[in-house]
Amino acid sequence: MYIGDVSSRGLHHLVNEVVDNSIDEALAGYCTEIDVTINKDGTVTVRDNGRGIPVDIHPVQKRPALEVVMTVLHAGGKFDKKAYKVSGGLHGVGVSVVNALSEWCIAEVARDGKVYRQEYERGVPKYDVRVVGRRKSTGTKITFSPDSEIFKKRKFSFEILLERLRELAFLNKDLKITLTDEKSGKTEKFRYKGGLLSFLEYLNQGRTPITKKGIYFSAEKENVPVEIAFSYNDSYSENIYSYVNNIHTIEGGSHLVGFKTALTRTLNNFATRNKLLKNGDPSLTGDDVREGITAVVSIKVTEPQFEGQTKTRLGNSEVRGIVESIVNESLSNYLEKNMSVARKIIEKCKSAARSREAARKAKELTRRKTTMESEGLPGKLADCSLRDAERTELFLVEGDSAGGSAKQGRDRRFQAILPLRGKILNVEKARIDKMLSNEEIRTIVASLGTGIGRNEFVIDRLRYSKIIIMTDADVDGSHIRTLLLTFFFRHMRPLIDHGHLYIAQPPLYRVKKEKEEKYVYDEEERDEIVKKIAKNGNEKIDIQRYKGLGEMNPGQLWKTTMDPLNRTILQVAIEEAFEADHVFSMLMGDNVEPRRKFIQENAKYVRNLDV
Amino acid sequence: MTNLSENIIPVAIEEEMRKSYIDYSMSVIVARALPDVRDGLKPVHRRVLYGMLDLGLRPNSAYKKSARIVGEVLGKYHPHGDSAVYDAMVRMVQDFSLRYPLVDGQGNFGSIDGDSPAAMRYTEARLANIAEEVVRDIEKQTVDFVPNFDDSLKEPSVLPSLLPTLLINGASGIAVGMATNIPPHNLNEVVDALSALIESPKLKSESLLKYLKGPDFPTGATIFGDEGIKSYFKTGRGKLTVRARAHIEDMRGGRERIIVTEIPYQVSKGTLLERSSALVRDKKLDGITEIRDESDREGMRIVFELRKDVNAEKVLKDIYKHTQLQTTFGVILLALVDG
Repeated sequence: MYIGDVSSRGLHHLVNEVVDNSIDEALAGYCTEIDVTINKDGTVTVRDNGRGIPVDIHPVQKRPALEVVMTVLHAGGKFDKKAYKVSGGLHGVGVSVVNALSEWCIAEVARDGKVYRQEYERGVPKYDVRVVGRRKSTGTKITFSPDSEIFKKRKFSFEILLERLRELAFLNKDLKITLTDEKSGKTEKFRYKGGLLSFLEYLNQGRTPITKKGIYFSAEKENVPVEIAFSYNDSYSENIYSYVNNIHTIEGGSHLVGFKTALTRTLNNFATRNKLLKNGDPSLTGDDVREGITAVVSIKVTEPQFEGQTKTRLGNSEVRGIVESIVNESLSNYLEKNMSVARKIIEKCKSAARSREAARKAKELTRRKTTMESEGLPGKLADCSLRDAERTELFLVEGDSAGGSAKQGRDRRFQAILPLRGKILNVEKARIDKMLSNEEIRTIVASLGTGIGRNEFVIDRLRYSKIIIMTDADVDGSHIRTLLLTFFFRHMRPLIDHGHLYIAQPPLYRVKKEKEEKYVYDEEERDEIVKKIAKNGNEKIDIQRYKGLGEMNPGQLWKTTMDPLNRTILQVAIEEAFEADHVFSMLMGDNVEPRRKFIQENAKYVRNLDV
Repeated sequence: MTNLSENIIPVAIEEEMRKSYIDYSMSVIVARALPDVRDGLKPVHRRVLYGMLDLGLRPNSAYKKSARIVGEVLGKYHPHGDSAVYDAMVRMVQDFSLRYPLVDGQGNFGSIDGDSPAAMRYTEARLANIAEEVVRDIEKQTVDFVPNFDDSLKEPSVLPSLLPTLLINGASGIAVGMATNIPPHNLNEVVDALSALIESPKLKSESLLKYLKGPDFPTGATIFGDEGIKSYFKTGRGKLTVRARAHIEDMRGGRERIIVTEIPYQVSKGTLLERSSALVRDKKLDGITEIRDESDREGMRIVFELRKDVNAEKVLKDIYKHTQLQTTFGVILLALVDG
């Protein structure tokens, strides 16, 4: 299935495919505006002001190029050798796939003073390309309606499209992108004159940078243009986003390796040359140099090879050397010319090295302590009897009161319970050694079995295939949930990436009438059920609202929330990595201002304002 | 055991974080940490007062055990920890915490030295006289009632509060993304200022200063300089420098001593003395030979005995600088309006 899946992700990918065509025009230098509209009828229109897809006859297919592009898979339509193809894996299968998966699709091209048009039904043209008017300007406009037989839900989300379009606007300096939702009237315009530097600013909201401006360089070597922007802030996380031809290479690749290697080497050399690193000092490691860094690396390659499970890792080995030498040169120059900034950076890296030592020592203590206790499993963990990680689950519950219910309600063969006392540490604001000395964090890490830290974390040692966060339905439960999510996001990313993290959905209400009882999860469901039951007489409908898991009997808890045959659980996934990073640093980081703004703007969307 | 009939719904971590965080922060802001501008109370205090009213604990009735009050409030209105409710009630008894205490307590309710109050099974309480004015006319449909946490009872969303409680008692709370710190003021002054405002609604904040001179802390002490006061009258924010009230006495042997009779608001005398002693020991404070707490039923009296031939004024300045004898009160006038 070329589009990947038929769920919401695949649906939104359709829009990305069409937009990618316009982006290619922008990369070639001809398109400056892209407008995406979610029409009132739920269809989508993408319009750009590029040259317009050509309509001359394709030499091989013997049909107009427009028709070929829209109906023949992988046709591309790129006749320009210099263009950077967006190809490989899920990317760049072409707008023809979008057409094939649409009930209907209309393509309009303005070119050579005329307006051409062709309509399709499920990818088949209804008529030949015909001229329908005259226009001086050029551009392409594609409107499509996803096939209802393939896509169950055809509702486009403004927010999801927004994230991707914002990303594209950052990556293509000065490109004007507009997203409009005709039904709600919402509209957003992007145009980042600063390109990657603006991206950096956005990512750094909620963090305090240690230098006023970010560092930016752009150079080209062997036909590979490389653009890099990065800055250091006072947080402890490492956030590097790498892109190839505007595709987010989540798994990294040779370009990312080149950047990292050069960064470490250049900083070390510079520090030694300028006596900032003395003879006795240990060299800065890659981790030291990347603590607190936010970076965007964007390169363009004419024939990219994408590898890895999700085809998001760049394989081209020659790119590594290219990026390395560009970074080496540009960064060395920059540092020489900006001594004070360079000093600040080196100082930060050295402080990171010092805390790394402190953390190593703290980790030693953890390791030693756990080897002394037999098997190292914390006493609070109520483990399960099966050893097979594939079938077992770990429930993280809030407090001993909920823990009790969970322990009594579970199936002890494959479900383990770990009660957490109180609110856990906000790891966004804590240094790694402080985090490791926190009791609750230690018990979580020990129970999972994977170890923690970049070099220590081994996902294969995970003792459970599902980690389920089960907090109370009240606002403090929500807070604990955010704290846990922050911990997993910052320190156990692979857990989320591999789909091991879940959130339990305990019911909010129980509606009971005599012998019949139904558990529901929100107000709407409750009202529906009440209406249904009330048909047989309104008296004696008992509605109980659950505030905490301790309110439920163990049997009820099992039936509604823990029994795999009956429960609903949410699987945590990362939609857009840089947006997730932005949200975490804004909500959980040190800076108060962005958080206050967020609260003010979103106050009316509160879903559960309770006592 | 993966089971196909299980319902697994994918959720984006960004969405989940945003939603959960908004729920939590809004709740803390609206229903926990910030006072309502109309009755000057945070939800927990309002519930304690209403709970006491429900139990018939008027000022002239008999005292009832605190545990009974706490249980009543917990069960009916405030579904959180019991210590939260008891601590809130205790604070309303302390005359060094509230300028106009709203609860009349019997037994040990803690002290300015930082001593803990007695457990709730020992102490007793009832509404203070002044609290009558806060709940007066509540039965005459003067305020909106809302359902309690389990929809079984109704509780008031705000108390009628004939008194300008927010200003006379002040409030302080840390919410999410914002905080509040309102100092207490003198009731007579506030009433005068209000009368003036009723007569001429367009009165400017500078003119109000004529009537309402500034904060009136229950623990006394003095405010150094009026820039801070002018500032928060005008903008809602200001920094006040609060200094303990001290004077210098002569001692035998030609020496002098500094006597402190009033300390800044929200400073614990016990901690203050400990820290001062530590500073003297570490030689960071010079010129002091002995620090003694001579406070008793009559009033507060802290004695700093000085060495011979030492300038008392200078030592006093040093003490102000290095200890909590001088503190900064950062005023933030933030309260909930219209819920």
